[in-house]
Amino acid sequence: MTLINNRNITRAVLILSFILINILLLLGISKVLDFLNSGADRISMLHLEKETINTYLPKVVWESIDNPGRVMEPNTLKTIEKDYLFSWYVKNKSLQDNSKAGIADYYTQNTRQNLYNTIKNNTKNEITIESTTLKHNPKLDFYSADGQLVVFTDKNVVEFQKVYQKKKLIAAVQDTATYKVMMLLEDGFWRVRHLQKIEKTTFPLDTVKSNSVFKIKGDKITKYNIDFTIKGINYYPKNSAWDTFGNSFNTDTISKDFDIIKNAKLNTIRIFIQYDDFGKADIKQEKLDKLKKILDLAESKRLFVIVTLFDFYSDYTLENWTLTHRHAEKIVSTFRDHKAILAWDLKNEPNLDFENRDKSNVLNWLEHMITVVKESAPNHLVTIGWSNSAEAIHLADKVDFVSYHFYNAIEDLVKETKNLAVITTKPIVIEEFGVPSYKGIWNLRGSNEKEQAQYHKKMQALFKKNNLAFMSWTLYDFPHVPDQVAGKWPWQKKRQKRFGFIDVNGKKKPSYLYINH
Amino acid sequence: MRKTIYIVFLLSIALLLAFGTLLGRAKKEVFILDTKTKFFIAGNEVKIQFTSNSKTVVPQLYIIHSYGKTLLVGTYKNGKLTFKLPELYAKKTGTVSWFLIASEKTIAQGIFEIIPNKNRQTQIENYLGPRSILAGGKEFTMMVAVPTDGLDNPVMENTPVLIKNQFLNNITIDTEKTKDFIAWKNIFSSRPSGKILVSTECKNSATKEIETEVYPNIASDFSINYSRNHDFADGNQITTLSTSVIKDHYNNIVSDGTLVAFIITNKTNIILKTFGTTINGIATGQLLHPDHPDFYTIKAYITGIAESNSFTIQYKAIIAKFNYAFSNHNRTLTVGPLKSFMNQLVPDGIKVTVKVIHENKLIETLQEDTSNGIVKFYISPDFYKAKKYRFEITTLGITQKSEIKNYDPNQQ
Repeated sequence: MTLINNRNITRAVLILSFILINILLLLGISKVLDFLNSGADRISMLHLEKETINTYLPKVVWESIDNPGRVMEPNTLKTIEKDYLFSWYVKNKSLQDNSKAGIADYYTQNTRQNLYNTIKNNTKNEITIESTTLKHNPKLDFYSADGQLVVFTDKNVVEFQKVYQKKKLIAAVQDTATYKVMMLLEDGFWRVRHLQKIEKTTFPLDTVKSNSVFKIKGDKITKYNIDFTIKGINYYPKNSAWDTFGNSFNTDTISKDFDIIKNAKLNTIRIFIQYDDFGKADIKQEKLDKLKKILDLAESKRLFVIVTLFDFYSDYTLENWTLTHRHAEKIVSTFRDHKAILAWDLKNEPNLDFENRDKSNVLNWLEHMITVVKESAPNHLVTIGWSNSAEAIHLADKVDFVSYHFYNAIEDLVKETKNLAVITTKPIVIEEFGVPSYKGIWNLRGSNEKEQAQYHKKMQALFKKNNLAFMSWTLYDFPHVPDQVAGKWPWQKKRQKRFGFIDVNGKKKPSYLYINH
Repeated sequence: MRKTIYIVFLLSIALLLAFGTLLGRAKKEVFILDTKTKFFIAGNEVKIQFTSNSKTVVPQLYIIHSYGKTLLVGTYKNGKLTFKLPELYAKKTGTVSWFLIASEKTIAQGIFEIIPNKNRQTQIENYLGPRSILAGGKEFTMMVAVPTDGLDNPVMENTPVLIKNQFLNNITIDTEKTKDFIAWKNIFSSRPSGKILVSTECKNSATKEIETEVYPNIASDFSINYSRNHDFADGNQITTLSTSVIKDHYNNIVSDGTLVAFIITNKTNIILKTFGTTINGIATGQLLHPDHPDFYTIKAYITGIAESNSFTIQYKAIIAKFNYAFSNHNRTLTVGPLKSFMNQLVPDGIKVTVKVIHENKLIETLQEDTSNGIVKFYISPDFYKAKKYRFEITTLGITQKSEIKNYDPNQQ
């Protein structure tokens, strides 16, 4: 006890607390210094960081850049276009959040006051407005000799907006209007000085003659004016399920698979393009090249292709509409004349997003997407792959043919299709159907391979009898299925792996006999 | 049991009825636009009125304006539904789209226009540029006037704007009509250089003047001359080169600071340069006299734009021959005193070179500058150990050869 006397303890406590206080003091000082050193990046002075890619990409087509003032330089035009689009972007954003962010960068001092007043008024009344513009058709009116002032008329701007009050949706409104705009070049930004909405102008309608291979005649799809019944299959290469255009892309594999499909006397395949995988709004050329290879291969084997866009995409917010539009436009217009393409399927089973992503949002998005795709490829058909026949009535008057996926009891097939045919006069395609050959601890009531064969036998008989267009799910059993598809749990995954006509070892399952009729 | 069935039955009938009447009523809702005016004047009150037979449905009016979008709540009175446009929108011009909205549906839509207010004091923004141009009538400065109506709205199309400009004795007034928000005019330079003053006027509102500088055009060819104190190649005096007053094609003196390069080619085709910048059209260059007889061919350029005549000037030798002497067992060579054209000593710093030659082979070249007209060379026994050397002495462009001198290699 004498060793640990009070004095030593006091000493130790004193020394330790002294050290502790010092450490805390140093930490505090360093925090303060840290804070003082933080701030805007120096590069932000140059305004280099603002790019419209992946922000806001409505379609912009300059009608004419002839003007009585100075000759417009292509570079300046690009800058003006960029800053003008940003002026819309910050305006939309300010209406949505009732915040002033960015407005000072794209509106001159007098002009921004008007927007601030709007923000104030809407904040007071708790109004928020989500909006986006879809199309701009500017025509240059005037560019001053010193290159500091520009006036143009942005014809028939298509605006889509959703109005909320107290966070409750009041309405979704689409409007088309023409704007006359004057912009000034101020410290590196083109800023809006005057903006005036004027009445929309009438455009002469496009009179492009369609020379498409596939057309719609009543409730039939025709190929060179002869009735064509889709007998098809959904296709992923065996080892790259839901990743057709990934690293294991191999034309030899695909070519062999196409031979199998062709030998089964099927005429159509359905493939899938993942939104992120293709680079969102900034499409990767490498992916387009791969898609071209597949399409060329299909053409050489005389198979037709339904290309499904926007797989794994589920954000339908107005903010991203223009980005998805450019995504679709780039892909679709690249292949606008490709003879192998039968149709563009805008989205696989979009009705599954109704609950989480707001039904009206999804439907509005699809409706506008139809326009975008039809404008980009007038010679191809357009459809939407609904997950059941009841939902397939949506937008039925807008698509070229109605597609639905059938996973119900066999006896309902004819009834469901007939019910749908009452509502729409368009051709109907059963775009997916199938049953997994999986019976195990996760799925005691499932079918085995024989039962799967029986299922397909019965289905094919019905297709034949009623002359229905069909596309089965799917050619292969898959060794791997990504979590995004069915879920991460084994009972979800196992099922999804066994829908094929050919098993993972390449052996044809009994159902293969009934891949066609 | 029976009781509950009755209750359920009655309840469902009541519900059905309620629903049915609601449906029936919804069908009959009619809203007729009363406001026939299509145009409103900015700053005045804007009211949109509907006649309605509805008692339950209260639609809202959604407004899309150039500078914003908003939702209006109407006031209902005697079957009239009135919407008042907020002042912030009513004072800005342009088309306004409206959508009458009830239960997420647009039940009527239309547009009206707000036009500029003529009674407000007009204001004008002017943009003039480029702010400096060249004389001669090919270049112009552009005046862009943006008149607004006092509420910062662009005035009506075809509003006349006076664009006035003054240059020397001329005052010009033009009337331009606005189109696309602006009225504009190109004002061309004329032959003389000077200042163009521009101002505008619209509906009794006038602006301040703004000026554009008309600079002289690019130089045309010019001539050069020289002056010097004497024509001796003394390596000391300076020859001054100067240009004539350099003018552009329209007789304007070129801008001060125009760079003129004088290019000098000597007897041996070596090129020398000197530069000058113009003041009041004249550029001067300075050139040190050579220290040996030479002749210079001189020509001046304004690079890429204009050139001068060329001439040749001569520099005469200041001496025909000079003296030198050996002393200290030939170890010390004294050159000079060098005398100039009137027997004065040459300026300090005249270069003298001595080539040391042994059996017709050049051993070394020595060089010194004169001081008080004299140079001394020391032929050190440590380095020059041979018995015989010969020397070639050059200064002021003249070379003299000595006879062979004898040396004692053992001398310390």
